[in-house]
Amino acid sequence: MDKALSGLKVDTLSVAYGAHLAVDAISLTIPKGKITVLAGPNGCGKSTLLRAIRRLHAAKTGRVLLGETDIGKMREKEIAREIGLLAQSPSAPEDMRVEELVRLGRYPHQAMLQPWSKDDAAAVEDAMFGTGVGHLRDRRLGSLSGGQLQRAWIAMVLAQQTDIVCLDEPVNHLDMAHQIDCLDLVSRLNREHGRTVVLVLHDLNLAARYADLLVFMKDGGIVSAGSPHQLMTEEQIASVFGIQCRVIEDPVHDRPLCIPMRNSSPRFEVQG
Amino acid sequence: MMGEAAKLSRSGPALGGIARDRARAVTVLLILLIVTLLVVLASTAFGSTWVPLEKIVAVLTGGGERTERLIVLQLRLPRVLLAALAGGAMAVAGFLLQKVTRNDLASPSVLGVVDGAALGVVIFLALLSDESNALIVSIAWQPLAAVLGACAAVALVFALSGRQASSAVRLLLFGIAAAAAAKSVIMVLLLTGPIYRTTQATRWIAGAVNETNWGEVQMTAELLLPVLLLALLAARRLPPSDLDDVSAQSVGLNLPVFRLAVFALAAALTSVSVAFAGGVSFIGLLAPHIARLLIGRSAVAGMLASALCGAVILMGADLVVRVLFAPTEVPAGAITAVIGAPYFLYLLLRKDRLNG
Repeated sequence: MDKALSGLKVDTLSVAYGAHLAVDAISLTIPKGKITVLAGPNGCGKSTLLRAIRRLHAAKTGRVLLGETDIGKMREKEIAREIGLLAQSPSAPEDMRVEELVRLGRYPHQAMLQPWSKDDAAAVEDAMFGTGVGHLRDRRLGSLSGGQLQRAWIAMVLAQQTDIVCLDEPVNHLDMAHQIDCLDLVSRLNREHGRTVVLVLHDLNLAARYADLLVFMKDGGIVSAGSPHQLMTEEQIASVFGIQCRVIEDPVHDRPLCIPMRNSSPRFEVQG
Repeated sequence: MMGEAAKLSRSGPALGGIARDRARAVTVLLILLIVTLLVVLASTAFGSTWVPLEKIVAVLTGGGERTERLIVLQLRLPRVLLAALAGGAMAVAGFLLQKVTRNDLASPSVLGVVDGAALGVVIFLALLSDESNALIVSIAWQPLAAVLGACAAVALVFALSGRQASSAVRLLLFGIAAAAAAKSVIMVLLLTGPIYRTTQATRWIAGAVNETNWGEVQMTAELLLPVLLLALLAARRLPPSDLDDVSAQSVGLNLPVFRLAVFALAAALTSVSVAFAGGVSFIGLLAPHIARLLIGRSAVAGMLASALCGAVILMGADLVVRVLFAPTEVPAGAITAVIGAPYFLYLLLRKDRLNG
């Protein structure tokens, strides 16, 4: 892995679905070795931006730079060795074994006729034990709980051994305990292994708790980017999410905590 | 693959799940190989006259009487081997399509490849016959017509799907539409065409391997073996395609290119086998399902097992029609359809239940 390559920079990037600009001329530098969280209301373009960073969407204009290289010019496997991505709702056959899934993470490291190498085996072991699914290796995916399944998927992304890891709403379908469990795992990967993490999160308080850099998005653009303390103000949250709230200091984690109060532009009116 | 399984099983007493899967796959493959050889022998032995095993061995080693040599070498073996090749190739095509579309119902006939090839042949017969119903060109051009028809069908399906060609479901839907369109044109051509050609075309469409000669076997083998090798190489790249599109791409699979390549391989395998064996139906659906039941999920082993199952099914079907309906030559495709159609319905009903 070329560590020098790993600085990630989004340069006036636009992504379009037909005529609709889902990401509109965004520029953003993803800090190396930090956790960046993209947050914003539904349809603000955060997931699209994340996928465009991994070139799963073609850039309409602008580009994404990995070090000096435009990822638009990289080969598919080359990108997959630099940037891993966990999809929003990934799916795999129910009868696939956990270890089989994790092994798929080695795909970008294998040449056409090259057999399974020691490096591959070691990466798979590290990923499985790092995510605590080592004891589940022979289990079929269909027999796992939601939390276990999510860990197995994260293990697959880790086995890819990329410097940059993108996760698209990784805690969406998990209960509270597993949400914390999953994000603690991600933040440990960041702290202990120095991986650059880019997360899309819906829950503003989770975002504030785990982000080094918090990015607020709205209508395909970036409204503001900064530390959670800089961004989590009552005015900012009102203007981005359209909700009145009170922001207090989380007494445990030294991070701001948002208490939502009233929707300033209600979408569901109570009749009568 | 076998070597790796052996290595893994030596490495310690407690075998992991994947290693156990592999060991099992190897065992099943060996058993399937033996079954295939037994069916080859049985198909050579049974027929209008019974040729005992020791006489077959004698003929194969260069001995035997003249009539036995004729029956075994000229009448039976070419037919058996063509059935094995065509059945195997169609099964591999079905296996590839099911994997790449992540859909159990995919098969060459569903994608319009089989009917496209059949249309090619019927147009060939209709256009190039003179008034006395004799062909004005050599019958040797018939396979080319089938390949052209199959390629036209695949091209049409991709053209119709347009930018949505990356969606497996769209491809299947347009494939079914293309197959239906080809079938209706065939019907019109048959109803308006001369009787003799109609009978011949009908037999061919149903799929039959009788009246096969060594030239055809050789040509089929020469065309199919390189494609089968490519398919085996592609199988090594198949595993990520078990995942959803985003995940498959994020581990580095170039999905659009990969899909196009796999569809092309499947089209090539199908059209060559259809060109020589006719529109034998449902093998591309059935064989991969049986292989999967026996082997599990492994891509390379699954493909090899599909090929063997496909070969066994078509040889078996041909054997059944020879023994049951002799001396009438019923096309082997009739048997595969009798088994395959209810199974296809069962799959549809099961899918319905799962969705509803």
